[in-house]
Amino acid sequence: MPLTSQPIDTSIYATITAAIRSEASRLFTAAEVVAIIGYAAARRVGSAQPVIITDAAAAETLIFTEACVNNLAVYLTKAKKEIPKKGKIGIIVKGCDLKALVGLMGESQLKREDLYLIGIPCAGVLASAVQPATTLTTETIASKCCECDVHLPLGCDFVPSVTLPPGPQMESRYSEEIARLEALTPAERWAYWKEQFAKCIKCYACRQICPFCFCEQCLCDRNKPQMVETTPRPAGNTAWHIVRAMHLAGRCAGCAECERVCPMDIPLNLLNRKMAKELKELYDYEAGFEINDKGPLTMFTEKDDQSFIK
Amino acid sequence: MQKYITQQNLNTLIDTLIASGTRVVAPRMSAGIPLYEPLDSSVEMVTDQLPRRSAKEAFFPVCEEIMSYEKEGQQIKLTDIDPARFPETVLVGVRPCDAAAIPVLDAVFSWDYKDEFFLERRRKTTVIGLACTTADDACFCTAVGLSPAETRGSDLFLTPLNGGGFACQSYSEKGEALISNNSALFSEPNNAAPLPLAAPQADKIDLKKVKSWLDGHFEDPLWDGIAVRCVGCGACAFVCPACHCFDIVDEGTEKAGKRRKSWDACGFWKFTHHASGHNPRDLQPKRYRNRIMHKFKYYDDKFGQTLCTGCGRCVRVCPVGIDIAAIVEEISKK
Repeated sequence: MPLTSQPIDTSIYATITAAIRSEASRLFTAAEVVAIIGYAAARRVGSAQPVIITDAAAAETLIFTEACVNNLAVYLTKAKKEIPKKGKIGIIVKGCDLKALVGLMGESQLKREDLYLIGIPCAGVLASAVQPATTLTTETIASKCCECDVHLPLGCDFVPSVTLPPGPQMESRYSEEIARLEALTPAERWAYWKEQFAKCIKCYACRQICPFCFCEQCLCDRNKPQMVETTPRPAGNTAWHIVRAMHLAGRCAGCAECERVCPMDIPLNLLNRKMAKELKELYDYEAGFEINDKGPLTMFTEKDDQSFIK
Repeated sequence: MQKYITQQNLNTLIDTLIASGTRVVAPRMSAGIPLYEPLDSSVEMVTDQLPRRSAKEAFFPVCEEIMSYEKEGQQIKLTDIDPARFPETVLVGVRPCDAAAIPVLDAVFSWDYKDEFFLERRRKTTVIGLACTTADDACFCTAVGLSPAETRGSDLFLTPLNGGGFACQSYSEKGEALISNNSALFSEPNNAAPLPLAAPQADKIDLKKVKSWLDGHFEDPLWDGIAVRCVGCGACAFVCPACHCFDIVDEGTEKAGKRRKSWDACGFWKFTHHASGHNPRDLQPKRYRNRIMHKFKYYDDKFGQTLCTGCGRCVRVCPVGIDIAAIVEEISKK
């Protein structure tokens, strides 16, 4: 935690809101899209929730604020069943969300030409939407935003023209916490994760919110035969979290939605970041930057490390 | 019976009970979050935050073994769990929204099938409720006809007083027994004013009107509008004090294993997935509709009660900001 909490300037969000409303309205009027996935205000003061609009009149409900925490890319994969299928879909994306879309295109789940990307120059969002009426500061900001390298998403169809004000210096919370865990003995590390996984209630919010968890049937839901214990007990919980982390290695680009939505505050993104770190060290690979990039775990090259074959 | 107890004496009561072998469950910090868990000592109790999960797990655990099996050759040995072995329990510091859900659950667990796992724990548990002094804008107990001073479900109810300690009112024989068995720790009521209670901003909703709308709108565009954003996790149901659906699975090997019961949720696609492959609730809006229908119509049809106490937990944890209070309010205005 920083010694003093510093405010983060989000004054550009009002301009961004106005720009996405007029762009959305234009898109519907020109019949360029059939739906736009964005954010709208909800009952609680300061709150925002995902919304799928299908006409120009609803464009006025779109907003962008520090409470727009969701990665809307999730609506383009498994939840897509309820979303119109014919025609182009507009989607509002922060830089971190765009990384997920890039990954999904690389995995042939989405086609660029089916999407109209409305990019958001983003100064950061709240760590949690539990208390939405919270000012964005170096303390309340999401940990992923502290290490953000994509404040300005590239390659979108439309980006509101605003200038991002310079933000304060922030500590790298994930890197620091991973370094702390790496310095522990295996027994201490195991004790840490055992305590964290003991809280898991198998609500699968982490799986359901993840744009990359798009398996039609999750291995962990299978019961003929049962592959992983489904009950929320230490064995099945640990198995689930290991399966999840391994399946996301080289794919997860760090939107941290799993961690944000965990009602039991399990620091899930630490696992994802650790996997990403391994991938960087072993294969010099980072997910989410190049469309059509095959991740290192989905292909073999002769340059791959083979020292493990004995 | 009305009494007064100091904070120190409440702690002594908790420690005495623990020392005598009674399981004392109260909110305490567990790996960074407040949960209702068995205490090792009264100093662990934290009452300034709403626990992340409700108190229902004192009666209806996240997961429990209901039977075990062993197979040797042609011999199969089945071993039941004996509910008589469940410990005597005192549940302390229960929020009014959590305590009020307990009698609501009694109705379903003692309906056509008597669930001994729930009912035996219920018989052996004394509930000490605590008036609520903290609310946020997700809280809506007042909208569903309850309040931060609601005593329903409590055997003994504590109201924090100005100047320390608690006014203490018993509402059942269990509550009276707890006082009389520990009478030295209680004194006569004093005139101190209660601390200001929480004041949730939610206005009372006409639940009869909500139900009558639901009676006629199984099919309605409302469901698509709300639930198109639902991602189908079980967070809302699992943190809910009143949701009570569970799954039963056998886990183990051919030789030996256990039959376990664990929380389930109607938001999961698998919840109504038939063995045939057919799923009558094939899309998320149908699943979300069931959540609202069960809480505000079906449970009322069957038991004359509402399956929601306005704790606001589902509103806080929903990954996509679905707000049941806003939905029910919207329905009440239709």
